[in-house]
Amino acid sequence: MSEQLDKAFEALKTYDWGTDPNTVKAIDDEIVATHGDAAARKKLEGQLVLVLKSEAPRAAKEVACRALKTIGTANSVPVLATLLADENLSHMARYALERIPGPEAGQALRTALAKVTGKLKVGMISSLGARREDASVTVLQALLADSDASVAQAAAHALGDVGSLAAVKALITAKAGDATKGAIADASMQCAEHLIAANNKAEAKATYDKVMAGSPSKAVKTAATLGLQACGAK
Amino acid sequence: MDTNQSTRRDFLKTTGLTTLALGFPTIIPSTALGQGATPPPSERIVMGGIGLGNMGSGDMNNFLNNPKVQYVAVCDVRGGVRNERKNQVDGKYNNKDCKAYVDFRELLARPDIDAVHIATPDHWHAIQMIEACRAGKDVFCQKPETRTLREGSLVVEAARRYGRVVSGGSQRVLEDYRKIVNPCWGGELGPIKAINVQMGTISKACNLPAENCPADMDWEMWLGPAPWAPYNHSRCDGNFSCEGGSWRSYSDYSGGNMTDWGAHHIGGATFAVDVRELQPTDVILTVEGDKRWLAFKYPNGIELTLNKPGKGQHQVDGTPGEKREPKKIPDYAAKGGIGADFLECIKTRGKPFRDIELAVNTVTVCHLGIIAYTLGRSLKWDAAKQTFPGDEEANRFIDRARREPWQL
Repeated sequence: MSEQLDKAFEALKTYDWGTDPNTVKAIDDEIVATHGDAAARKKLEGQLVLVLKSEAPRAAKEVACRALKTIGTANSVPVLATLLADENLSHMARYALERIPGPEAGQALRTALAKVTGKLKVGMISSLGARREDASVTVLQALLADSDASVAQAAAHALGDVGSLAAVKALITAKAGDATKGAIADASMQCAEHLIAANNKAEAKATYDKVMAGSPSKAVKTAATLGLQACGAK
Repeated sequence: MDTNQSTRRDFLKTTGLTTLALGFPTIIPSTALGQGATPPPSERIVMGGIGLGNMGSGDMNNFLNNPKVQYVAVCDVRGGVRNERKNQVDGKYNNKDCKAYVDFRELLARPDIDAVHIATPDHWHAIQMIEACRAGKDVFCQKPETRTLREGSLVVEAARRYGRVVSGGSQRVLEDYRKIVNPCWGGELGPIKAINVQMGTISKACNLPAENCPADMDWEMWLGPAPWAPYNHSRCDGNFSCEGGSWRSYSDYSGGNMTDWGAHHIGGATFAVDVRELQPTDVILTVEGDKRWLAFKYPNGIELTLNKPGKGQHQVDGTPGEKREPKKIPDYAAKGGIGADFLECIKTRGKPFRDIELAVNTVTVCHLGIIAYTLGRSLKWDAAKQTFPGDEEANRFIDRARREPWQL
């Protein structure tokens, strides 16, 4: 580890709002320099994990999360998962977790869902959508009926992002209330576009028909009309 | 994270089809609105504005003074700006009817509004454009239209899904680069091989100290989907610097010069050499001493370079000895600039000159350049799948998590 990198990690111990970001720039430089060097990356990741486990200020932990977005592996997931229920750090934990490949990050997000409510839950749901894992469909489907409309809406949009056949089935069988029907319709149509792209126009048409049957808003009706046209319907 | 799933864009690009060929009209026909050949009940387009600082103020004046527009709503997270704009609109109509909003969602929920213009900081653009499409509004959005690659795909999809007219905001693409556009399209330069763009820096990390937030500012709404940070006047200043002291300088909100001017200069270059409907396949980073420059290779063989040593702004490598048939240069749908073009397309349901897909293609080049510079290496880009093939590290830069509760 270079002297500059040592200094950067030393600086992180007291890194707070107002500290010159150049004091920790060596971490970004190390990320670039260690591309393709698994051993060096593992060492760097270990250092970043220690920052998250330490009493370093919030701004310092955010620097670590940003770096783990680029180099984090399954090794980082446990400590990032501990931050998901922390109001101050949940977003930056997701900042890393949303982009870390492999099943561990998605599983950590799904597990943490049960521990939070409101905005934090919405955030985790959006990250699960961005990850587009079929493994998330069941848990997202259950959240479509959540009593918190913002959670149910987020779950619908996340299922739209997942976009699989399982996701569309979850959406079109959901009981849509006034607060959620717009999100469910939008997500259903997002999935239907995947179906059209896969030349499954029959399933797509059934999806648009379902949307049309749900007393849609003018905007949704317009969109569903276009979708039905794309399916070849008159 | 599953990056192997097919996407609609995947299908469109791999087959070379357009949305029209799929059966999706790119812009909703008036018949689908239930209007048939009958014009809308009002000859005026009812509009509102979201984000009304420097650029937003200019856009608002443009639309407010257009006789085709009835301007009814303003939205800004800064009370002073919000009230000033409301008073301006009320003064124009000599009434008190203009409504002022802090939260753009309340403005978008109004059924009487046909269209909105958006000029918030860049980190807000995609969410607000998508929400506007979902609400059935046509959209004019300032450039750069997106902050991440994934936002580009989702914005285009939302525009097409809801059949909305969505225009990007670079007026310079058509208006400022005639000296190079004309000979390229006119055929004088023969088949084009390359064009160079001169560009400034990319944005950087921001860690400014906390200051007292003005009482009339909703700081949480200003930050929106960006990581939380304490208020600092320089963090959110809308001045045009990309070198510090403005949100355009900082990577949580902007791509810096690369996106702010890139939307213009790269947009103009890709228009001139007619690759605006394409995205590059390769981004090649060359490092020579302390100088770095980029080459973007397009699938048709044309190369767009960025800061190539020895090359000037919009310098074209053509083949003047070879004949090339001239092509008609695309134009706005109406006289009066890019705003008038947008308004005309709302009426005709046509495609604006700076249709969102073309704007996204430009800003995609900017984002690819930022990622190559950030990672310090060359990249391959699969425009159909919207991924960096086999490059797990680069794929992490396609998007970033949004602060709760904001979601695309």
